[in-house]
Amino acid sequence: MTTSLETQLQRRAHDLLAEGVVELFLGYRQGSNPLRVAPFVARTPLETAKLVWNAVCVPNLAGTLAKHAGQRIGVALKACDAQSVRELLKLNQLERSRLYLIGIGCAGMADPEAITKAAPGRVTGLAEDGPDLVITTADDVVRRERGTLLLTKCATCIGMPTDFCDEWLGEVPPTPPAIPAERFAAVQALATLAPPERLAFWSEHLSRCTLCYACQTVCPLCFCKECALTLERDHPRRQAREPMTIFAYHLMRAYHLADRCTGCDECSRVCPEDIPLNLICRKLEQDRSQV
Amino acid sequence: MSEPFEPKIVGLLCSWCAYAGADTAGVSRVQYPPNLRIVRVMCSGRVDPLFVARAFEHGADGVLVAGCHPGDCHYLSGNNYAEERFAKFAQLLDFFGLDQRRFKLAWVSGSEGARFAALVAEMTEELRALGPLELKVQ
Ligand code: SF4
Ligand code: SF4
Ligand code: SF4
Ligand code: FES
Repeated sequence: MTTSLETQLQRRAHDLLAEGVVELFLGYRQGSNPLRVAPFVARTPLETAKLVWNAVCVPNLAGTLAKHAGQRIGVALKACDAQSVRELLKLNQLERSRLYLIGIGCAGMADPEAITKAAPGRVTGLAEDGPDLVITTADDVVRRERGTLLLTKCATCIGMPTDFCDEWLGEVPPTPPAIPAERFAAVQALATLAPPERLAFWSEHLSRCTLCYACQTVCPLCFCKECALTLERDHPRRQAREPMTIFAYHLMRAYHLADRCTGCDECSRVCPEDIPLNLICRKLEQDRSQV
Repeated sequence: MSEPFEPKIVGLLCSWCAYAGADTAGVSRVQYPPNLRIVRVMCSGRVDPLFVARAFEHGADGVLVAGCHPGDCHYLSGNNYAEERFAKFAQLLDFFGLDQRRFKLAWVSGSEGARFAALVAEMTEELRALGPLELKVQ
């Protein structure tokens, strides 16, 4: 039997800490239920036993990594997280010589919402079996092909050159020769609308925005200590949720991220109002790919 | 109410050329619509797109950013930066569906009083036809 990625990762993290190559190792630990993982920093070789690697390692670790900038830290990265790390390096938010990057072959991460839809009820277990995911709920066991449960972004994953990382675990994903066109299908559709219809589309979505700024907080590339766009909690314009205030926030957020957003989709994942922020991110990426 | 709609336009004008152009228009008594509210800035390169977003947020129906002609910037390259920034910014305005006519970047020299007046008149006309900037929320 081949060793699971999780075991391989735990071993490598253990050794790196034991040999003193790194002071910290960043990965995931199990969260409050089988569909949740949380970023976790192991400080001793013993603690690496808590590291997990499974089909729902969704959160982007790049932001957490940046919070530990300055320390010698190892980290487990899937390709999309590595993209964010590369961008942070470019912007001098991290020092390459202080990082030890372990790239992990990623078969696509499953969307916890899709899993709950496929297997209603309280999920008590999640296992990988070849190309399938086996979901155990309180009163059922459901088997689904992993490919049908993935996050939107994984369908058009753009990978990451393997030589970016110090080492790779698992299968090296083939990097698509060009960005797949479907990646921009939704923005393309939006672009064909007349401007007033586009404005109506966004007005409707953005009218739900509560200005909670979760999208800004989670973004690994939003690292300013003080954001010029966010308003204090008791600011009258924030409390009134003025449509134009919301509009200006999203317009400027897009502008500030224009050169750096890597399309990790963390913003739309955390938005409690399900606003399709990833469309904005794809638009930025599309514009960059065209210059 | 049957009063015709009068758009509010915020003009962010660089001190050395566009603002001087507006001044020339005034001195030579060229008429132009009073819809423009002028803010003088030292250079078009000083204009952060956030100023424009904030202007819209606080009730502007249109925003005009104007500076020296390419090559004439008092600080040599401020207007080149402005051009690059606002090209990107205008793309995003369009992506969100904001009518392109609500935002204009123009180059006006200190002697082009009449041209400045014509520019403002034209923009005011366009915005009158477009109506107020509102985000309708169903
Ligand atoms: S986008 Fe690519 S690297 Fe990221 S989770 Fe999906 S398949 Fe993995
Ligand atoms: S804007 Fe969204 S998709 Fe882009 S880097 Fe930030 S969190 Fe990721
Ligand atoms: S996370 Fe969603 S609701 Fe919160 S500020 Fe961002 S878009 Fe608005
Ligand atoms: S001084 Fe006029 S654009 Fe720079």
